[in-house]
This record gives sequence, structure tokens and C-alpha cells, in this order.
Amino acid sequence: MNAIIDAYEISRFMEEKNVLLVFTGEFDHRIISVLLKNIKGKLNPDDITGNTVKRVYHVLVESIENIGRHATHDKTANSQSIFMVCRDDSKYTVISGNPILNSNIPALKEKLDKVMNLSLEELKQMYRDQIQSGNTTENGAGLGIIDIAIKTGNSIQYDFFPLTDETSFYQFQTEISI
Amino acid sequence: MDSLIIAPTEDSPEVKFTTTSNRFVISGESRPENASKFYTPVIEWIKKFEDVLYWRKNERGDKSEIVFEFKLDYFNSTSAKYILDIIFSVKKLVGQGYNVKIEWHYDKRDDDMLDAGTEFSEMVELPFEFIPH
Repeated sequence: MNAIIDAYEISRFMEEKNVLLVFTGEFDHRIISVLLKNIKGKLNPDDITGNTVKRVYHVLVESIENIGRHATHDKTANSQSIFMVCRDDSKYTVISGNPILNSNIPALKEKLDKVMNLSLEELKQMYRDQIQSGNTTENGAGLGIIDIAIKTGNSIQYDFFPLTDETSFYQFQTEISI
Repeated sequence: MDSLIIAPTEDSPEVKFTTTSNRFVISGESRPENASKFYTPVIEWIKKFEDVLYWRKNERGDKSEIVFEFKLDYFNSTSAKYILDIIFSVKKLVGQGYNVKIEWHYDKRDDDMLDAGTEFSEMVELPFEFIPH
């Protein structure tokens, strides 16, 4: 009975990693709303401050919306996207992963590396410049990443794993201290 | 000029712009699927509202204070650009000599929402009244 063993393995992994929520599939706006509603109910324990709750929620929304922005439009590829939230005694960890076209990697990598090397003050200045640039359609992802960096004390980690000749799996992770 | 009333949803804020009122409120959570579609009418309304203010001031001698209240629980980074546009439109009314101000309401535990308001206020160079709850 392989199926049962698999389920047990998954449940053990979830417990070990303190997973609050994990979702794989297609991230359209409706599903994102359902997931956010679900996680909101789990973010209100008495032992963390109100500001941390808000901050975690903020980072969750931006991370989950990033999946939609970066995922390739290929339906099969999109279904491999994953979003996960873990919590231990000292922090929340927000992990997102989605397939991405290899041709989009260099520009994304450049943006991420640039953000990761900035101080909080520099990030805030970049946020101001970006939001005032007036480009309201295309640059949403850029502003989102800067915002995440500011709210997480610049704890961004990322990686790309090759999937096919044309696509890779993009993993993005941040932490919010409690 | 018609009032602009938009009911809140789980991803978009409530907008209560009643033309005859002196208080205009945007409240709730903002991460609409299409931020441009949601916010463009709001920004357009504020631009047209100048005619109402002109009429109030010059035809009726009414110089009562007008308040734009922001009571947001959460907004995503895409909404932030449009909120900045709204604030710029309000600032324009102030620049034209109307008695208009912005109140920025926030949950007193939510330092980030206070910071966001401070940032907007500095970017637009318009003092806000900050009101914790």
C-alpha cells in the first residue's frame, strides 16, 4: 500500500518542518483569495505581536502573487507551482516555487541580486523611486520584491533548478523573525 | 456629479465618496485582481470633484473642510502605486487652494501601516493627520 506510506511520509514532513500551509496547483486570483483566507485564520496566535501578523500576511500576499507573475503561461508548468508557509519558535518561513522560462532568468536574477545587496535605507529609496516612476503595469513584480526585502530584513534566498531545455524551477524564500 | 460608492469585497476596499458629504472614505483590504480597473474611476472622480468644490466655494461661499480618510487594513504593492496617485490628486486640490486634508487611520499595532502613510506623505509633500485605533 504505497499510497498510505506516502501520505504518512508527507504528514511527517509537514510536522517536522512545522508547515502551516502548503498548496500546489494553479494560482489564479480566486485560489489565492481562498488560500489567504485560510492562512489568515492561522496567523493570530497570542504569542506574536500584531505588527508581525500584519507583516507575515503582507509578505505572504506579495510572494503568492509573484508566483502568478513569474509562472510561465504553460498550463502544465503552472500546475507545478508550490506555496508553503512554515513556522518555528523564532520565525515564519515563506517559500514559493514555480516554473519559469529560462529566457526570463537573467533579468530576474539581476533584479534579485541587486535587491539582496542593498541596505534597508537603500531599499526604501529604491521603493520610492520605483513607485514614483509612474509605470503602473509592468513593474509590479519589481516593487513587490523590494517590498518583501524591506519587510523581511532582506532575508531573500533564491535558486533555479533546470526542468527542461526551456524552463527551470524558480524557488524563492524569505523569513520573518518573530 | 454622481457619488461614487463601491461595496467592499474580500480583495478590494470600500469606497464611499458621497458628493454632498465632506468626508470621503476608502477602507479595507486592497489587492484587486485588476488594480487599474478598480482605481481609475476613483482617481477620475477626485479630478472631477474639483468642479463641485469650485461651485461650493464660489457659488455658495462654502469653504468647509474636506477630508479624505484612508482606513486600510492591507494593500499590496500594485495597489500602492494607485493609492499614491489618489494622494497626488488630493494634493492637487490642496494646491488649488481648497480646504482639503488627508487622514491616515491605522491599527496602533501596525507600525508598517503607519510607516506606509509617512512615506506617502513625504513623497507627495503633504502633511497627513495620523489617527491610531
